[in-house]
Amino acid sequence: MPNAILDPTGAAGRAPGSAPDGGPGGSLAPRRAGLAGARVGLLVNTKQNAGLFLEEVGRLLVERHGAASVLARIKANFAQPAPEDLVKELTTECDVVITGIGDCGSCSASAVTDGVLLEGRGTPAAVICSDAFRGSADAIAVLRGAPGYRYATTPHPVAVLNPDQVRDRAQAVLPDVVALLVGPAGAA
Amino acid sequence: MPGSARLDPDLAQLAIEHCYEQDWSDGLPLVPVSQPLLDRFLAQTSRGPQEIIGSLEQVGRECTVELAAINAAMAGCRPEYFPVVLAAFEALMLDRAARGGGFQSTSGPAPLILVNGPVRGELGFNAAGGAFGPGFRANATVARSVGLIVRNVFGIKPQVLEQATQGLPGRWSICIAENEEESPWEPLAAEAGLPAGTSAVSATLLRTCEFVDNRHTQDPEQVLWDFADTISRTGALIFRETSCGVVFCPEHAQLLAGAGFAKDDVKDWLIEHCGRAQADLRRAGKDGVSENHVRFAADSAQADGGFSRILPSRQHVPVLVAGARNAAISMVVRVFGLWSGTPVAIETRDDAALAV
Repeated sequence: MPNAILDPTGAAGRAPGSAPDGGPGGSLAPRRAGLAGARVGLLVNTKQNAGLFLEEVGRLLVERHGAASVLARIKANFAQPAPEDLVKELTTECDVVITGIGDCGSCSASAVTDGVLLEGRGTPAAVICSDAFRGSADAIAVLRGAPGYRYATTPHPVAVLNPDQVRDRAQAVLPDVVALLVGPAGAA
Repeated sequence: MPGSARLDPDLAQLAIEHCYEQDWSDGLPLVPVSQPLLDRFLAQTSRGPQEIIGSLEQVGRECTVELAAINAAMAGCRPEYFPVVLAAFEALMLDRAARGGGFQSTSGPAPLILVNGPVRGELGFNAAGGAFGPGFRANATVARSVGLIVRNVFGIKPQVLEQATQGLPGRWSICIAENEEESPWEPLAAEAGLPAGTSAVSATLLRTCEFVDNRHTQDPEQVLWDFADTISRTGALIFRETSCGVVFCPEHAQLLAGAGFAKDDVKDWLIEHCGRAQADLRRAGKDGVSENHVRFAADSAQADGGFSRILPSRQHVPVLVAGARNAAISMVVRVFGLWSGTPVAIETRDDAALAV
């Protein structure tokens, strides 16, 4: 018998589809029937225009969907998943979380990772990515054990928009965000 | 080794195609790796096969010594290059941008791997003509190893988790050895505090390399102004500050040293003179600076009289020497983040033998 050709990926040592951080992977949090009275968390990743974009989404959720409050938090390192203390605060203090904007190679992936982490902790999340980064967003969902994880997209580009354009984008993506966060009561 | 009459090209081609089919390749043929070849790589280091040499939290992947060895062998390294690959990878993982989102970035940055010390001669790393390659197995395959580790071990592949908009020519192929013999200054490893004669690797990520051809003057300041122009171009400015190195050819380095410039004097001159007039930055839509230090097109008209320096410290201006002494052509190397400035010593054969 000839020698086998060795696999350079290490795939043999990993369980297929397992969440690499040991999280549950793939399980969505139960959905609310509506957003009335919901405490909304914003996980802002510091990409250009992300702060204004998410603040506007939060404002519209209060104004149009009866959300009770908005808590905005900054993720200092956009390339990495949100740190544990931030995840803990958002899952404790908020009923739903909006995260984004996934508008670069690493931050699109980490925004989806944050969404999957929040869902695993029982908090519904709506991830917003630029539509140019679907490849990265879909791939990290598979890697995090949540293939097919759904997120909202806004057309690329985002960084160069002026404030009025950003607010228009927030309004345009709002129905998709709401659709991601609500469902039949208790449904996952 | 079998004689050439016993080599079987048809079987070799099948094995190479197998590697392509597994999606392991960067586009070029790979060396199919067997356990005996892997064992020869692992014999070059005292480190255990399962020792973790780097991890990327955001993709939840870790690289072990064994996986690094398989990828280095696939890249075409000889087994004795493996300690250099290990040091190069360790050095690169000291780079904050590499540990962060660098490998996934739209900017598609390339590792710059720099080899110092006697290992250059022992293993055949080119430090002279054509320093940036191609043509030299050690330089080419050590750099390629890093790319294959990122692809296969970290799982960061183009158009998927790697989102380079255009990438850059020579990504995964930039491994230069410093031309210590013709440099008037101390090598980078010594500058960073390692004992003279230590073989070591340093690494960072680059946005690009840009030549400066100045065979036109013997005036050191005129030469430096030519570098300042390239370093200061607005297209490369994203943040308030930047990091940008120079790989001087021996002729430029010797001209500067001959005029009394120590390495730190060169850095200080560039820190002082590199930058742009506010009017130039406004013209390019980069005159404002946000709280995150990102440049933007400022709305309000401001006085255009100011000048913005862009290199905040010596650490932001690495200075190296490589290439042939046949022309005054040097390379500006545009650093993606900030060079850690920390060389990693290469394990020697004696180190490995002692540990066994």
